[in-house]
This record gives sequence, C-alpha cells and structure tokens, in this order.
Amino acid sequence: MSRKVNKSSRRWVLVLAVASVVILTVCVSCWMVYQAGRRDVSGENTVTLEVAYSPEKQALFEELVKRFNAGRPRTPSGKRITVVATQMEPEAMIDAALAGEFQVLSPDSSVWLSQLELGWQDSETFIVGETIRFAVSPVVIAMWQETASSLGYPDKAIGWADILAAARTNPDFKWSHPSTSSASGLLATLAAFYAGANKTRGLTVEDATAEETLAYVAALEKTVRYYGEGELAVIQQVEEKGPAYLDAFVVQEQLVIQFNERNREKLVAIYPVEGTMWKDHPLVFLERPDSTTEQRQAYRVLSDFLLSNDAQMLVLSNGYRPTDLSIPLDSPASPIKVANGVDPAQPKTTLQIPSPAVIQVVRDVWQYTKRKTNVYLVADVSGSMQGEKLEQAQEALLTFLSLIKGEQERVGLIVFSSGVQEVTPLSELATNRDVLRLTIAGLSAGGDTALLDAVNLAYERLQSRQDSERINAIVVMTDGKENNSRIRLRDLAAKLEQGNRSGVPVVIFCVAYGSDADMNTLERISGATGGQTRRGSPETIRQLYKLLSTYF
Amino acid sequence: MNRTRWVFLITMLVAVAIVAASLLVQRAGGVKPLIEQSETLEVRIVCALPVEPFVREAARKFNAEKHKLEGHPIKVTVEPMDGLTAMGRWEREELDPIPTVWIPDSRYLVELVNATYKEKRGRDIFLTGGEYRARPIAISLFSWGIYSSREQVLRAKYGEINWRVIHDASTAKGGWPELGGSADWGYFKLVVPNPRKNVGGLAAMIAAAGEYYGKTDIGVADVTNPEFQKWLQELMGAVTDFSSLGAYSVENLALFGYSMGDGGQLLESDLLVNMAGIQTRWQDPLVIVYPEYVTWFDFPFTIWMGDETTALEKNAALEFEKYLLTPEIQERAVQMGLRPANPEVSVTEPDSLFVKWQDQGAMTVVPRTTMMRSPDRDVLLALLRWFDLNVAER
Repeated sequence: MSRKVNKSSRRWVLVLAVASVVILTVCVSCWMVYQAGRRDVSGENTVTLEVAYSPEKQALFEELVKRFNAGRPRTPSGKRITVVATQMEPEAMIDAALAGEFQVLSPDSSVWLSQLELGWQDSETFIVGETIRFAVSPVVIAMWQETASSLGYPDKAIGWADILAAARTNPDFKWSHPSTSSASGLLATLAAFYAGANKTRGLTVEDATAEETLAYVAALEKTVRYYGEGELAVIQQVEEKGPAYLDAFVVQEQLVIQFNERNREKLVAIYPVEGTMWKDHPLVFLERPDSTTEQRQAYRVLSDFLLSNDAQMLVLSNGYRPTDLSIPLDSPASPIKVANGVDPAQPKTTLQIPSPAVIQVVRDVWQYTKRKTNVYLVADVSGSMQGEKLEQAQEALLTFLSLIKGEQERVGLIVFSSGVQEVTPLSELATNRDVLRLTIAGLSAGGDTALLDAVNLAYERLQSRQDSERINAIVVMTDGKENNSRIRLRDLAAKLEQGNRSGVPVVIFCVAYGSDADMNTLERISGATGGQTRRGSPETIRQLYKLLSTYF
Repeated sequence: MNRTRWVFLITMLVAVAIVAASLLVQRAGGVKPLIEQSETLEVRIVCALPVEPFVREAARKFNAEKHKLEGHPIKVTVEPMDGLTAMGRWEREELDPIPTVWIPDSRYLVELVNATYKEKRGRDIFLTGGEYRARPIAISLFSWGIYSSREQVLRAKYGEINWRVIHDASTAKGGWPELGGSADWGYFKLVVPNPRKNVGGLAAMIAAAGEYYGKTDIGVADVTNPEFQKWLQELMGAVTDFSSLGAYSVENLALFGYSMGDGGQLLESDLLVNMAGIQTRWQDPLVIVYPEYVTWFDFPFTIWMGDETTALEKNAALEFEKYLLTPEIQERAVQMGLRPANPEVSVTEPDSLFVKWQDQGAMTVVPRTTMMRSPDRDVLLALLRWFDLNVAER
C-alpha cells in the first residue's frame, strides 16, 4: 500500500517538475519574443537609410532596392534595415545633402562628390564617407545610324569637333545636351570649353574665362536646339518622335543599349575621339556629426548587396557595365555588344577632369555662354482656375522664373480667359524680373478659355522678332477646354507648321493642368512645333515648371 | 503512452521551443544575457586599405576559432582607413575609441605620429623595440603597371620605363600619335592616387623625386627646388582625374581601363589582385615593370601603448599579431599578392599570384634593390602643400 502511495506521489512530483519546466520555458520564450517583437513594432529595431539617386537609373535602382528590402536585411547587431529611395537630379541632391537630408547618395558621377566637399563648411572633416561603385557607363554621343554614316562612321573616329562642325555648317542639324545639372551635360560643356581653349587637358580658370573661349562656346551653344531636364527625358522624346526630333544627343551608353533593345530604328554610340567621361554611379555614405554606427552598418549591408553576383548580373542586364570585373562583357547574355550600337572595348580615352573650382567656374560661365531664350509664359486665368489651382500655378510660374538665372534671358507673360492679354511684354529679365514677379503674384481668375488665341498671339510676337540666335519657346498652361477663340485649332496648327518652316523655329511646351484639360488640343499644338505636352496637377505643377526651366 | 514516452515527448517539445525562440530572438537582434560572460577583449584595428582584405579575412577566421586570453574571449574588429587619413586623425586625437592596433601603410607614418605624441605626452606611444614593437605583417613594392599595348610603344621609343620616360610621354604635345601610338589613345594618361586620400600618391611622388635626382635620400630642399616642382607639375598634368581616383587607384585602372589611365607606379599587390579582372574586361593585359629605385610599404602591426587600452587588450592584440604571422595565414597573404613577412613562407608556390603573372612581368625576387629611404615629416608636408596649391587647385 505504502509502496503504491510512494510510486503515485513520485509520479506527481515528476509531472509537476516537468510541467514547471515547460511553463517556465514557454514564459521565457514568450517574453524574449515579445521583447524582440516590441522593438520591431516600435521601430527601435529598425534602421532606415534614406538614399537619393539620379533619375536615369530609376528602373535599375528601384528594382535593386525592392529586392534588397524584400530580403528583410539586418545589420550585424540585428536591426532591420529599410531603404527609402528618392529620385533627384544630382545638382539638387548635393544641395539637399548639404542641407542635412539623406544618409546616402547615388549621383550619376563622382564629379559631384568634389562639388559636395567644396560646399561642405567644415574644412577639418570630409562629408564624403565610405564609397563604392556598383555600375558604370561611359557618356557617349548618341546618333542615328544614317547621321553617323554621314559623318564617316564607322571608318572614321568621330569626336566633339565633328558634331560642332556639323551643327555650325548645317542649319538642319539638330543636337542637344542636358544642362550642367547632370554629368552628361557637364561633360558636353567641358568638352566645348576644352575645344574653345584649344586644349585636351589642364583647363584652368583663366582658360575657361578667356574671351576667345567664351566666344567659341557661345557660338557653339547657339547650335543647340534646346537643353533639357535630363537624358532619360530626352531619349523618351527621341523614342516617341524619331529622327525628326534630334540628330544627335548626349547620354550615357546604357540608354543607347536600352533604346536599341526596344526599337527597330537603331542609334549608335559615338565615343568621342578627344575623350569622354564615365558615369560611375557612386554610392556614398554621408559622414555628418550625427551619423550613427548603425547607419554605417546598414550602408555596408546595402553595399555588399549591390556588389553581390545577383545584383551585378541585374546591373549588366540593364545595360550598365558591372563593377565586378569577373563578369565578362562579351558573354552571350551581355547586352553590351555591337548589335546594340555600342562597343565594349571603348572608350579609348577620357577628357581630364579639372579641379572642383574650375568645374564651378565652367558651370557659372555656361549660364552666360549658353544659347539665350525668348520664352512666353502663357497662363490660363479662366474661372475654373479659381482657388488652390491658381495659387499653385502662381507658385509654379514664380519657381520657373527663379530658375532662369541669366539676366539676358527674355521672358514675357500672356494670360487668357474670355480674352487674351499680354500683361508683361517680352523683355530681358534684367529689366522685367521684378515686374513679372509682381504680375504673377497679382493674377486673378474668371471667365472663359481663349486658349488658341493666346497661343497665336505669343507665336506672332515671337515670329515678328525673327530672332534665330535664341531658343524661341512658348510654355502654355491650361486646365480646361478651348471655348472662346477666334482662330480654329486646324488653322493654328497649320500656321505653326508653316511658320516654323519659313520663319524662326518656335517650340511649344504645353501643360495639361488637372484632369479636365483637353490633351488632344494641347498635343496637336505642341506636336506642330516638335514640342511636348505634359500632365500636371496642383501637387506637381511646381515640379513640372521646374523641369521645363531646364530646357532654356 | 507510458511515462518514458511522455518524458521523451516533453523533452523534445521543450528543446524545439528553446531552439525556435533562440532563432527568433537571434534574428531580431538578441536580448541581453541574464548572466554576464567573462568580459570579451576587443582588439580594434585601424587598417591600411591595401591589406584590409587580408587582415579582415584573418580576423574573421581568428574570431571563428574563439581564441581566449586568461579566460577572456578575444574579438578582433577591423576598420579600413588610409594611412595618411589615420595619421591626421591620430594627431588631431579624433579616433574615439582609441584603436588597440594601427596597421598603417608604412613604418614612417608610425614614426611621424610618435613624434607628435612625444611632444604631447613626453614618450613614444608606439614602440620600436621589445615585445610590443611595430612588426610588418606583409610587404608590397611599388611597380609600374602599364597596359601592354602602351608599354610596347614606350619601349620601342625609349627602350625602358622610368619616371623620366613617363615625364617625356606625359608632356608629348601630340599625345600618343607623337610617341608612335594610336590616335584614338589621346594623350598619355598617368595614374597617381590622390595623396590626400591615399598615401600611395605620396610614395609615387617620392619615387619620382628619387629618379629625378638619382638618389635615395630625398630632403626638403629637393622637393622645394623650383626646377623639380616644374618637372613634377608637368608629370601630374597627365593625371586624368584626381577627384574620383581617390583611394582605390588600381581598381579604377581596372574598371575604366586605358580610357582613364595608360599606367602608373602603383602597389604591386593591388596590380596582381586586379590582373585577372583587367584581362576579362579589357582584353589588353597589364604589364608589371619594376623601377630602379624601389619604394615599398611594410604594413607594421603597431600596438597603441597609451593608458586608454588595458594590458590585457594589448596582449590580446599581440595574440592576433602572432596569428597573422603564422605560415598558414601568411600563405593567404601571398595568395592576395602580398609578400610575406614570415620568411618561412615562399612566394614561389604554384598558387602564388607572383608565379601566375610571371609572363606579365611579376617577379618572385626583384633583382634591383636600390631602396628609397623613408622620407621625414617635413618632406611629406612640403609635398602635400605643393600638391594642394599646384595640382588639386589646378
């Protein structure tokens, strides 16, 4: 009996002991998981890296970031890493970085890093921290096969001088390069200054500001059809409009590859014989006094990912040259091949990159040597524009004005509602910048929409000047449908086409503001002059005008 | 189910719960241990860029092997930093926390920092004798790395490769066509690292001065001589880009090929490591040529002797130094293009990069041994000042 009791009590002790261990283990486990989970939820366990990247690599960079974030990466100390990527022009990116935004930058070229250091106030420290490159692509002059052949390609090595000669001798030759706010535009400008100074290296401030150099660059820039917001936008326009739009333009090699993979009519990449420049797409950690070890660790995890074989293969498939040198460019899967208009053995030489101080001078001086503009801003002030719409449009027009830096640029303002009024005649900004600001700030809305008459008036004003030295342009913005003009759309379009053939070429950019804007009419107007129509909203209108300012 | 099965089942469940919880917690960053382990000895190393991959790999292996000193586990961490940048940060006392060890590119950087601290603290903070003395962990020479097609043209015109030849090539007004090369090669493009970001740039300028004067001992009077400065400026005028070349000049030479640099005097180990990549990418192999006046880096393992680190930490650093000098680890150095500091290890093994690239000019033993003397502080500062005023601002 007592043996039975002892056995039963031993069993209970055992069960109790096991149950206690199980309960304790479960509780400790739950507590630990809760602690870790709580930190995840509250964000204590997360490091967010804010990365700014240049627009031409949007497709690649967004895919890379998507894959990186999907892998739920963590720092060595266990913190979850999230990358938030923002697209931004390199020039704006540098300003933002100096203002304390972003932890990581990926501009299109290392050239901007010197500018960043130049702007960094603390001379004892460097803001440019750890840096890697994950993709490179040389800057090339893209041109149609036929155009290239007419210049002697492929038997003759073509250079900047050939482009300049073609542009100066053939009035029908249309070429463009982006403004100096992107590396391609900066390179094209540097090439012009080198040519003007009759040098291929050792460009100095004195060279860049010499009278002969400035005269040469100014003469050359007069042949540019117009500038642009960036090479991605240019190639999209070329894709849409074909050879009629441009004969040659400056872009990175990767965009030529992607264009040729999509289109039957091919471009060829010309690697200028005098030398080119590489876009090396650095990924830079910004060292600021408030940078943390966790941010640095997160940057390293991102760097390792970008240099991993999978990421580097994605880089290659997007038409970039991967920085992993073990990946051959001549494999069957590589898009860097002659069939795509490019040559993996090129470029053979590069232009010498001047010091940051000389680059800054070139960028400043370019504002004065670039092709000047006569631009009419044509704005809708009909009844539908009342309220927030008009306020945002006024902001956008003022932004546009502030970004046209040259005082010799001419800007005029025409507004339309039931009628058309030239509120500020076309004149140099040196004399009418303040008037324009005040006029724009004082605009009010009411009445119908005489869009076509307004465009017609601006066009006639520009044609009457017969100023072929300058870019002649109209930037039209409307939120509704034409309902009060005397001229008909068909007649206006015919007039624009005829006028551009026989008079000075005028390009019209249209902004369809809001969902009620008549896209068909606007596209017909811009199409007749080789211009563009873009959609805008109260949220984006300011940015849109900012982009349009880069064309002048 | 009998009791044994119950016990077995419960034990398994508990084990699974513990493993699952551990994995979850580990993935989420862990929690503080309930019972503190004996204190880990952290050996923080600030390491020169050319040997950083070697030291980092060795540190990873060392940490994995769980070395201990007096019952304390040792953990080695490595932070890459150019020798000149590190020197500036030592002198401005910006390194916080103070590293346990500094592996600069060259012994002379250690001497320069020692001189500064002697003024501040009245004693050396890096030792040159005894158990804790600075000891090289690997050696690498400076040699010319030139694209083969360009090297052939230079040889045909000048017969040899040296700084005077490179100067003449750099200043040829007609560029490569004048030298006998192709028109689309442009002008001769020299690769020299930016001396503000890579001490290799200073080493190149000192080597150039050695050949200019035909002597191994370069003083301040030599580098401030206007004629020499004019000659050096002409030479530096052939460098394509000081902004993006930055610290990793050989990587740039490989990545951008002959378009950015026809050649330059660079670290042998960097050239050897990048040789295969250059052949894959550019189909124009690089040729290595050893100069008459040899400059080299010896990467001394230098233990900080200040009170900021404990005696145990210093000894832990010593343990890692011994580990780095073991034959097994030194063989890895050779596989990474470095010459071993341990004389037991040979560079003539079949997997050595020196043997692999012999056809491209790599030598296991360099016959010419006219060694440049380490420059003193004033020479370095004079060269850097000259660079800032005449090249960086050009």
